[in-house]
Amino acid sequence: MLAPSLAILVAFVLYPLGRAVWLGQTRCNAQGEDCRSNGWDQYVDVARSEEFQQALLVTAKFALITVPLGIVLGVGLAVLADKYLRGIGIFRAIFSSTIATSVAVASLMWLFLLEPSVGVLSNVGWISDAFPVVKSPGLLNDTGTALWSIALTSVWAGLGFTFILVTAGLQGIPRDLHEAAVVDGAGGVRRFWNVTLPLLGPTLLFVVIVLTTRAFQAYGEVDLLTNGGPQPTDPTTTLTYLTYGGTSIINNNLGLQAATAVLLFVVLLGLSVLQLAGIGRRVHYG
Amino acid sequence: MRLVRRRVAVGLGGCLLVAACGSGRSILDAGNEPVPTTTSPPSTTPVTAPPGQTLPSTIPTTTVVQTTTTTPLDSLPPCPVDALPTEGEPVQITFWHGFGTEIEQTLLALTEEYHASQDAVRVTLQNQGGYRQTIDKFFQSGQDSRPQLVSMPEYMLQQTADSSTVIPVGACIEASDYDTAAFLPGVLEAYRTSGVQWAMPFNVSDPVLYYNRRTFEAAGLDPDDPPLSIEELRATSQAIVDSGAARYGIAFDSGVDSGGGWFLEQWFAKAGELYADNGNGRLGRATRVLYSGPSGVELLSAVQSLIADGLAVYVGDNPNGQDALLKLADPVNAAAMTISSSGALGTVINVLDGGLIPNITSADLGIGPMPGPDGNPLALVGGASLYIVAEKGDAEAAAAWDYVQYLVDAQVQSKWAAATGYVPVREDATEVDPLRALYATDPRFLVAYDTVRAAPPNDPSALGPVVGPLREVRSATAGAVAAIFAGADVATSLAAAAQQSDALITDYNARN
Amino acid sequence: MTSDATTTYDSPSGWRAVGRYGLLVVVSAMVLFPVYTTVVAALKPGNKVLENPLIPDAFTLEVLGDAWTEGRLGRFLLNSLIVAVIITVAQVVTAVLSAYAFALLQFPGRTVLFVVFLATLLVPIEATLVVNRRTVDSLGWLNSYAGLTVPFLAAAFGTFLMRQVFLTLPRDLRDAAAIDGVGHLGFLRHVAVPLVRPTIGAMALFGFLGAFSQYLWPNLITTETDMYTVQSGLRQLSESRLDQPNLVMAGVIIAAVPIAVVLLIFQRQLVRGLTAGGVKG
Repeated sequence: MLAPSLAILVAFVLYPLGRAVWLGQTRCNAQGEDCRSNGWDQYVDVARSEEFQQALLVTAKFALITVPLGIVLGVGLAVLADKYLRGIGIFRAIFSSTIATSVAVASLMWLFLLEPSVGVLSNVGWISDAFPVVKSPGLLNDTGTALWSIALTSVWAGLGFTFILVTAGLQGIPRDLHEAAVVDGAGGVRRFWNVTLPLLGPTLLFVVIVLTTRAFQAYGEVDLLTNGGPQPTDPTTTLTYLTYGGTSIINNNLGLQAATAVLLFVVLLGLSVLQLAGIGRRVHYG
Repeated sequence: MRLVRRRVAVGLGGCLLVAACGSGRSILDAGNEPVPTTTSPPSTTPVTAPPGQTLPSTIPTTTVVQTTTTTPLDSLPPCPVDALPTEGEPVQITFWHGFGTEIEQTLLALTEEYHASQDAVRVTLQNQGGYRQTIDKFFQSGQDSRPQLVSMPEYMLQQTADSSTVIPVGACIEASDYDTAAFLPGVLEAYRTSGVQWAMPFNVSDPVLYYNRRTFEAAGLDPDDPPLSIEELRATSQAIVDSGAARYGIAFDSGVDSGGGWFLEQWFAKAGELYADNGNGRLGRATRVLYSGPSGVELLSAVQSLIADGLAVYVGDNPNGQDALLKLADPVNAAAMTISSSGALGTVINVLDGGLIPNITSADLGIGPMPGPDGNPLALVGGASLYIVAEKGDAEAAAAWDYVQYLVDAQVQSKWAAATGYVPVREDATEVDPLRALYATDPRFLVAYDTVRAAPPNDPSALGPVVGPLREVRSATAGAVAAIFAGADVATSLAAAAQQSDALITDYNARN
Repeated sequence: MTSDATTTYDSPSGWRAVGRYGLLVVVSAMVLFPVYTTVVAALKPGNKVLENPLIPDAFTLEVLGDAWTEGRLGRFLLNSLIVAVIITVAQVVTAVLSAYAFALLQFPGRTVLFVVFLATLLVPIEATLVVNRRTVDSLGWLNSYAGLTVPFLAAAFGTFLMRQVFLTLPRDLRDAAAIDGVGHLGFLRHVAVPLVRPTIGAMALFGFLGAFSQYLWPNLITTETDMYTVQSGLRQLSESRLDQPNLVMAGVIIAAVPIAVVLLIFQRQLVRGLTAGGVKG
C-alpha cells in the first residue's frame, strides 16, 4: 500500500537529497560534471561564509515579516467573514481567491503595480507625489523597501490559503461553546481571546509551519521581481536565490549550490522541530 | 499573540546565534585551504598571435606573467562539412535559442525561406525562453538531449569553449574554405580565443547613446551633434540642466548587462586598456581582472562626479532593462540622454510610434555613439553567437554548418538586421536591400554599425574580455558601480569587486 | 446557503450588519486591488496603458487575443491542465493508500517511515532539481508528460491530511468489516473512502492548484516549446515583452482564469473537506 508513494518519494526526493549531500562537499565544473571531493569542511565553511549568512539573515527577515502578517491578516479575514449574512459566500470567495494565483501570476501582478516606470503606482499622480520612492528609484529598486515589497506580494498570495484553513478551523469549533460563552456574559473580543483562539490552536500551528516553510522556500517572487535585490547590498537575495538564482555568485558552481541547498534543508528541519516543540506544547487538543 | 511573540523570539535567537558564527570569508573559499597570495606586477608587453598562425603553447605559471596558449584545431572535434547527403530524406536539426517572441518571428520567417530554398536540411527552432534558460538547459543536459545548434550570449564564450561540447566554427571555416573577408573584423574576432574561432556571430548589438533631440534644441544644442567624450558629456549635460530643458543630462543604471557590467568593459575597450590579463583572456586563460587600476578609478570617478554634481541621475539596477530608457520619458524629472543597447532601438521606435509615451514621438529620438574616454567611438560586440554542437552525427553537423552559412549570408543578414535592429555581421550586407534602404532612410540604425566597425582587429583590448565566469564578474562590478553611483569611494569599491572577481576566476580555473 | 457548514453562531442585524458589510466591502476592495489593475491593463490598448492605470478609460479585447497567439498560451494551458490532472489523480491515489497504511495498519518501522514522509515536506526543491533533471534526462523523459508528472505523483502533504482523517474513523467500523471477512483494500474502497470524500476533495483541489502553479521544474525540463506549461509561457512573455505591459497582463489573466474558475466551483467543498477531517493535531 505504501509502495507507490514510497517509491516516488525515495526516487525523486530522498535520493536527490542524498546525492546533493554528497555533492555538497565536492567542486564540479561548469557543466556539473567531473566532481571532485573538497572535504566535508566545505559545509562548515559555506555555513559560515558571508554570502550564506547574509542570505540566511534576509530569509529570516522575510519570514519574520510574512508569517506573522499572514496569520494576522488571515485570521482577521476569517473572523470578518465568519458571520451568517446574506451574500457572505461572495466575500468568502473573494478572500480565498488569491489561492488561485500561482507564484508567477501573483508576482507579475505585483510587478505591474510596483515597477517604477510602467507600473501602476508610479503612474498614478497623487501616489508618486506623496511617496517619491515609488518612482525614484522605485519600490523594488530601493534597498530599504525591496524586501518589504516582495514580502507584501508573498503575503497577498498566501492570503487565500490562510483564510481557507482558518475558516475551516473556525467552523470546527462547536457552536455550543460560543453560546455558552455568550450566556456567561462574555463580549465579542473576550470570546475571541478565550474561546476561539485557543481552539484554533492546532490550525494556527499548522498554518505557521506551512507559512514558515513557504517563506524559506520562496523563490519565484525574488526571481521575477528583483533578481536578487537592488545592488549593492542585495537585500532580497534569500537562501533559495543564493542557491539557484541567475545573478548568484555560485551560479554554475554545482558543489556549492548543493551545499547551500542541503544547509537550507537543515535550517528548515531545525525550525520545524523548534516550532513543534515550542509552540506545539502550548496548543490544546480537543 | 503569544504565538507571534514566540516566533519572533525564536527568529531573533536564531539570527543572533548564526551571526555569531560568521567567518567573514567568501563562499567561494569554502572547503579550500587558505593560499598565500602572491602579488607581482603584471607584464605589460602584449604578445599577439597573427591570425591563421599558431604560436607554440606555453604552460601557464602561477606568477602573473603574460601567457599565450593556442589550442591546435586537431585536438578539437572536426567539422565534417562534406557529410551532407545529396539525396534522400532531409537532415533534421534542432536550434535552441533565447530570443524574445518578437524577434523569433523574424527568425522563423528566415528559416522558412531557407527551407524553401533547399531540400537537404530541415531546422526546428526551439525557443528556450531567454538567454539564461538556454544556457542552463544546454549545460545541464546530457549530450544526447542537446540540440545540433545553439545560440549562446557573448559572455559565454570561455565557458562553452571549455565545456568540450562544441565543434569550433573555425574548423568548419577551414574545412570548407569559407571566405570571411566581408565580415566586420571585430565581430568575428570577438568570438575567437586562444587562437581558435569558436562561434559564428549572428546577432550583434552594442551600446549607443539615446537622446531626446527636442531637449537638445530647447537647450540650444545641435541635435545632430551628440557628445562623444566624457568631457563633452559633462558640457552637454551642464547646458541642458542650466537651460532647464530637462532635469538631468544623462541617466545611468547599474544593471549587469548595462551600466554596471557591460558598459565598464566598453569603456575599457575605448580607452585601449585591458580588462583582464593575458590579453583580455584571449591569448591565454585569464587569471585576474585589471579594472581596479588607475584608469578604472579615473573613469568611474568622472561618472560619479557627474551624478554628484546633479548633471546625471542614477536610476538603479534596471533589472527589466527599461528604467534608464524610460527616464527620458519621465514627465517631471526627465533625463535628456541615456546609454542602452542598440538592440532595443527597433522596439523603442515601435513603442514611441505606438504612443505608449505621451510626450515623445519617434522623430524626437536621436542616436549617437556611446560616449567614452577620449571620444573613441569603437564598441564591443554584444548579442549572441552560434555554436555547432559536437557528437550529434556527421550529417547533422554538416547540416548545422549549412544553416549557419545561410544565416550569415549577406542578403539574409540584410533582412535580419533590418527587421530586428541588430548590426549585420558583414559589410556587404549593407549594400543590399532592405538594409541599404533602412540605413539610407534612418541613419540612426547606422550608428551601432559604425561603432562596431571602428574596432581595430588584432587588438585584444578592443575585443573585450574572455573570462569563464564573466557573468558573475559582471555581477561583482555591478555591485561596485551601484555603490559608487550612490556615493561610495571609487577605489575601495572597485578593489573589493576586483578581489571577488579574481576569486571567481581562480575558482573557475580550478574547476574547469 | 443555509447548510450547516456555513452558518456560524450568530448573524448580526440592523446597524451591525451594515457596519459588517461595509468592512467586508472595503477589505474585499483591498484584496482585489492587484487583480483589478491587471484586468484594467489587459483590456486597454497600448497607447492608453500608462495614463490613468486605475481607470478603465479604454477598452479592447485585441490585447487578449495578441497574448493568446503570440504567447501560444492556448497550447501551454492545455499542457498545464493535462499535467495538473494527472498529478492530482495520482496524488489522491497514492496519498489515500499510504495514509491508510499509516493510520490503520501495524507494521514495523511505521513511525520512522512516517517521520521520513514528513521530512520530505521540508526538502527544498532547489536541492533536488539538478539531480532530478539528470534522472529524467537519462530516462528520456525530457519534454514529456512523464517527466512533468512522475516526480510529483506522490506528495507527503496529501498523506498527512488523509492520515488525520482516517484516524478519526471509529475502530469498530474496521473491526466489523474484518469480522465480515472484508480485506483492507475492500474496506478502503467501500467504507473508508466514501466516508472521507470531502477531505479527498480538498486534497485533490490543493494538489491541482499546486500542480498547475508549478514554476521551476517545468521551466527546467522542457526544451521544446510545444511542451511548455502556461507558467513558463508567462515568464517568457514577461521577460521579452515588458515594453508592452498590457500584453503581459493579458497573459497573466489568461493564465489565472482556469484556476479561478476551478476554485469558484469548488470553494465550499474545500472548506467542508478541511473541516471534516480537521487540520487538528
